[in-house]
Amino acid sequence: MTLGRKLARVLIGTAIAGSLATMNAAVALAEAVVPEAEEPGVMTMEAPKPSWFFVRGGWGSAGTSIFDAGTGKMIGMVATSRDSDLGIDPSGKFYYVAETMWSKVNRGTRQDLVSVYDSKTLKLLGEIPTPGRLIVGGFTTNFVLTDDGKTAYDYNFDPASSVNIIDLTKRKFVRAIELPGCAGMIPNPGVGFSSLCADGTIATVAIKGATQDITRTEPFFDAAADPIWSNTVYDRKKKQVVMLSYTGVVRTAAVGAKVEVGAPFSIQEAGGMKAADVKPLDIAWYPGGMQPMALHRPTGMLWVLMHKGEYWSHKEGAEEIWGIDLAAKKVVKRYPVEDEPSNIQITQDDAAMIMVNGGGKDAVIIDSKTGEVKHKIENGGSGLITVVESM
Amino acid sequence: MKRFNPDAMGEKLLRRLAGGTSRRGILSRLGLALVAAPVFPLLPVSRAEAAKPDRSPEAKTMFARTAQTKDDTKCNYWRYCAIDGALCTCCGGGIHTCPAGAEPSPVSWVGSCINPDDGKAYMIAYRDCCGKPACGQCGCDNTDRETQLYLPQLNNNVIWCFGTSSMEYHCSTAMMIGAA
Repeated sequence: MTLGRKLARVLIGTAIAGSLATMNAAVALAEAVVPEAEEPGVMTMEAPKPSWFFVRGGWGSAGTSIFDAGTGKMIGMVATSRDSDLGIDPSGKFYYVAETMWSKVNRGTRQDLVSVYDSKTLKLLGEIPTPGRLIVGGFTTNFVLTDDGKTAYDYNFDPASSVNIIDLTKRKFVRAIELPGCAGMIPNPGVGFSSLCADGTIATVAIKGATQDITRTEPFFDAAADPIWSNTVYDRKKKQVVMLSYTGVVRTAAVGAKVEVGAPFSIQEAGGMKAADVKPLDIAWYPGGMQPMALHRPTGMLWVLMHKGEYWSHKEGAEEIWGIDLAAKKVVKRYPVEDEPSNIQITQDDAAMIMVNGGGKDAVIIDSKTGEVKHKIENGGSGLITVVESM
Repeated sequence: MKRFNPDAMGEKLLRRLAGGTSRRGILSRLGLALVAAPVFPLLPVSRAEAAKPDRSPEAKTMFARTAQTKDDTKCNYWRYCAIDGALCTCCGGGIHTCPAGAEPSPVSWVGSCINPDDGKAYMIAYRDCCGKPACGQCGCDNTDRETQLYLPQLNNNVIWCFGTSSMEYHCSTAMMIGAA
């Protein structure tokens, strides 16, 4: 072998070794990025937490998005169909969706049911057929669960008024109770439920097996002249319901076998102003919206969406949020808000974070202690907001 | 705002009848009324017997003060004082007719609206047109004397597509029933 040939071999060998090394490096780099072909997967989530907001898309849209109040990030979505109602199992294991659908989407056979979802996988576990329900959405009081999570009450209107009792343990419809002139449910643990009625009373339905006794309070409000919002707020620990009327009259009632309505107070007087009334041209601060108030149960602070205007403006969005100390009957905070929100809710933990939505496209998270806007969630949903209640 | 009080109206009606009729006369009229009752909507008749209402600008709601009678495709058209939803007049329908392919609901919620041309109040039945996707045009939400779910006939959130072959909401009409 000549020197020239030897040199050529060495050069070729070096070149091959070099290219192999380069290839190896490339393989190593590729392995670091994609070790193998990916498999599709599905996440699971935690059981419902007090820091979560469950936000409906708004009228005509389906789905309930879950956002964390601390981060403002979306956690997941419960498959709530249009105009359905969501119930959160007190033990945190299930989500219940009272809903209505048709065999051919918008026609065919109507089916009313409660769909049961696992709270961690969000997989459908079962369906409980029911004889009907009011198709409206936007109310927290049309589908309520008992404290032990064993029973659901589902409001029906067809257009006669009744309440369906559903056994959630056996996943079975039990029976319906007719309730003419009343609508929605206020939980009444150990008794049954109570409802606001057109004659200005609260009816209490004491359920005793296959029968029930219906009793009423004395009339205490005028259902036509100064109605109380159907979206009442219930405090399970205090067994107390908080009610708000169009003029801004705040009432609480102790809920039990006999419902005791407390002394009312004016929200404007609690804020150092003249009480608002029903007369036209009387400009005042009025409560307004679809879900116009939220109660932070641990502190007894009631948060209300308020706007300036005339009477019969009860669906108008808010210019301010008023924080009312229910025990002292005083407005202690007033925060301006943007985009005229019509729904408000507050987390029941110490963070006490408020969410408002329904005016613009953002769902806004506000620190109730400071009024500071913490997160603006674009397209966060414009419908009813629900939180986990402490039992 | 005048409080709607059917008891007081009924009492007034009965007193007027008692004062102006003989017993035999009232029996024959009552019989006639019973036969004819289904023909007449009772509410506007009884409401017509109510005391003369105050129609001064000071007594009118903000909606009534600014309502107009010319354009029924606008939210401030006088009949829409308690409407919520898409106006059927903007969806290929009319003030009391559904757009083609939609089905009118046989039941409705009601409003009592003042016509600015004659200053009188009229009972308006808001009938939803059903069975088609939401029209989406001319969305209005007026709330004069609009209440909550326990007074459903005065609540405008409920989808009133009861008794129709589909409960899908398309749009809302504003049908005149009579003087309020």
